[in-house]
Amino acid sequence: MGFADVLGSGKFVVTAEVSPPKGTDISGALAGARLLHGSVDAVNVTDNQRSMMRMSPIVLCHTLGEMGFETIMHMTCRDRNRLGLQSDLLAAHALGIHNILAMSGDYPTMGDQPSTKPVFDLDSVQLLQLIEKMNNGSDFQDKPLDGPTSLYAGAVANPGASPLGPQLLKLNKKALAKARFIQTQAVFDAAVFNEFADAARHTGIPLIAGIIPLRSAQNARFMNEKIPGVNIPDEAISRMEAAADPALEGLEIAAETIAGIRTNCQGIHIMPIGGHGNTRRLLEMCGLD
Amino acid sequence: MIITRPKPIEEILSMVEMFPDLSICVVGCGICARKIQTGGEPQVSMMTAQLQHCGLDVLDGKMVKHACSTESWDCLVEEDPALDKADILLVMSCGAGVSLLGRISGKPVLPGLDTTSLGSTLKDETLEDLCVMCGDCDVGLYAGSCPKSGCPKSQVNGPCGGSIDGDCEVGERECIWVKIYEILENRGMLELLDGIRPPVNHDRRL
Repeated sequence: MGFADVLGSGKFVVTAEVSPPKGTDISGALAGARLLHGSVDAVNVTDNQRSMMRMSPIVLCHTLGEMGFETIMHMTCRDRNRLGLQSDLLAAHALGIHNILAMSGDYPTMGDQPSTKPVFDLDSVQLLQLIEKMNNGSDFQDKPLDGPTSLYAGAVANPGASPLGPQLLKLNKKALAKARFIQTQAVFDAAVFNEFADAARHTGIPLIAGIIPLRSAQNARFMNEKIPGVNIPDEAISRMEAAADPALEGLEIAAETIAGIRTNCQGIHIMPIGGHGNTRRLLEMCGLD
Repeated sequence: MIITRPKPIEEILSMVEMFPDLSICVVGCGICARKIQTGGEPQVSMMTAQLQHCGLDVLDGKMVKHACSTESWDCLVEEDPALDKADILLVMSCGAGVSLLGRISGKPVLPGLDTTSLGSTLKDETLEDLCVMCGDCDVGLYAGSCPKSGCPKSQVNGPCGGSIDGDCEVGERECIWVKIYEILENRGMLELLDGIRPPVNHDRRL
């Protein structure tokens, strides 16, 4: 069953993230994905995440698809103009990739090629509109496609944005542009997420909450400082500091967060630091495996 | 107001090295670069002294009223005949001024500054990135604060997810979308932001 059908069935979905390699060897990424086999509804493949140069996600999505995984390909507006976006969407579709997560993308200065030209020809809302057009058989300029796409496109949101008003403005436009699901930035505060979910409910779009199990207090502070949109509360950092087994404590914090938001979302998306060694364990802790 | 920034002296020296044994005149601009103190009299004098200190053949620095707008090179020379004596011009103005002086003087020109954005000055404050000259202006919809220039990602349909407490994820600046939203909310005009804005029509610049 495809991701669209699973989400449409009302099931609580689990997705997890893998990254293409920085090089030509995809064996590590495939090994990471194998750890998820049977535990997730789809594997997300990132697109130069945090503006760090990596292999195109098209290749990894295709290979994972051949291995039987349902994939969600991330597509940012940072690296391609509208011509490039359309070309890659057609290529992805031709290779059997049907789920797209449309996003603006982190700014290049965040990453390892800081002097690169930021493109941002379209924004994520316009990318969603473009996908809808291509699904209806035409390109950006309304010229007919020789074969339409059938792409299932979602978008992202940051529940912790402060103030929330402008973020909800963008969310409403994503709803207008027919986003089928919203994957959120990592959630560390259930109350903040639930407030966002209440404010987003009118859109009727399923929310998939981002989850990052913490590894250490140091790692939590690093993310607070370096990852845009991440806000880990002091209480969680204190717990990580006091823990005898920080990795286990990170899983427990994640499991508690999931329990606290579960009725307000239709799934979770696991974005581990350093591989999926503990992902199955986290899902077991939540009764989701 | 065209916003410019000083170039590192090492970069200027490496450009000057391309023209050995030629005399140089440092030329400042009396409008934007003078106002924001990147290409006024003090900066021209300082650059002239720095190049002379490096043993280069540098004539006295000169100012032109506006490097980007003049009748002709002859008019500029008429005002200051010494301007024509140098073999090459190091122009401390925006890129438009450098280009124009290069076009009309018949001399090699070198840029003394980097041109970064179209902005303004308010008292002593320099406001950068007020306009990207997209050729497709709709700033009236955004309470006069253009997100194509004020947002590093040029987001026209609302903010990205990276702002933290109203600050942009890129550099030290406020998220322009927080500002736009606040102003329109206070005016009771948030409906201006309803609907999806299209991407910039780039062929309008041609």
